[in-house]
Amino acid sequence: MIKSFSLIGSVVLTAALMTGCASGPKYAEVAKSIPTLQADQGRVYFFRSASMFGAAIQPDIRLNNEVVGTSQPGGFFYLDRPAGQYVAATSTETEKTLSFVLDAGETKYVRTSPSFGVIAGRMVPTLETPEAAQKELPELSYTGKPAAAAAK
Amino acid sequence: MKTSIPRQLICLLLPLAVLAGCASSVPAQKAQFTPYQQVQGARQIRVLKSTEIVLDTAYKRLIPENSTWKLSGTLPQGDVYRAEKTIFTIEGRQVHEAYLVLSGNSLVGFYLPGESNFSPLSPPLTLNFESVKHD
Repeated sequence: MIKSFSLIGSVVLTAALMTGCASGPKYAEVAKSIPTLQADQGRVYFFRSASMFGAAIQPDIRLNNEVVGTSQPGGFFYLDRPAGQYVAATSTETEKTLSFVLDAGETKYVRTSPSFGVIAGRMVPTLETPEAAQKELPELSYTGKPAAAAAK
Repeated sequence: MKTSIPRQLICLLLPLAVLAGCASSVPAQKAQFTPYQQVQGARQIRVLKSTEIVLDTAYKRLIPENSTWKLSGTLPQGDVYRAEKTIFTIEGRQVHEAYLVLSGNSLVGFYLPGESNFSPLSPPLTLNFESVKHD
């Protein structure tokens, strides 16, 4: 039994190390090229801490059923979208969605963090306070499209 | 010894199942929300005493002392207040951004702006707050 757990542990650890953290440019490098918001749009940042816990789980992130990026440890990206109602979700074993409203000129921060279900892991999206998110962003790497393409 | 292993496993997996995938949904009904039109000078309240809420889903939420909330609109159930400079969510099977719905000094539920629903709080809670700005 102990051997089995050791084996599973080794496989998970290896997988985690192989998949690794996000490796794009840091927030400070990207910040200069982030455009000013258009008047009728809001901005949504998706980010995930650099913790290796659950690092092997890197699902797609969907916003109103559109795949907009991937949840990678230590990664962030942002999207500009028209003001309105949104549902964020990730593609994992069981789905936990986050519904929120985005106002024109508003910036929202969505953290994705791993949680373990009965059969497999899943990624839970939650709204984060601007204060906490802005503290964490400088340590993270940009995993989105080139800045100009992030606006839609 | 052999029979105790599955029991241990069940004891481990059952709470995980409850926490992970089996939480109940937040109760919700369609809301008739009327937004507050005036951009400036909307009424604001400040919470005087930190209040813990236990939702029907068993998740807990805290309304912190000194947090401020701005009048955002009305529902038939009460006035709707949005958190200022922070965010507030309620949680069950899913996570929902939420505004407070107050009738007098009672917190009667939450407005879920991302889906235009009202989620009642049962039983309502008394919220200790003061008004900090009026029109």
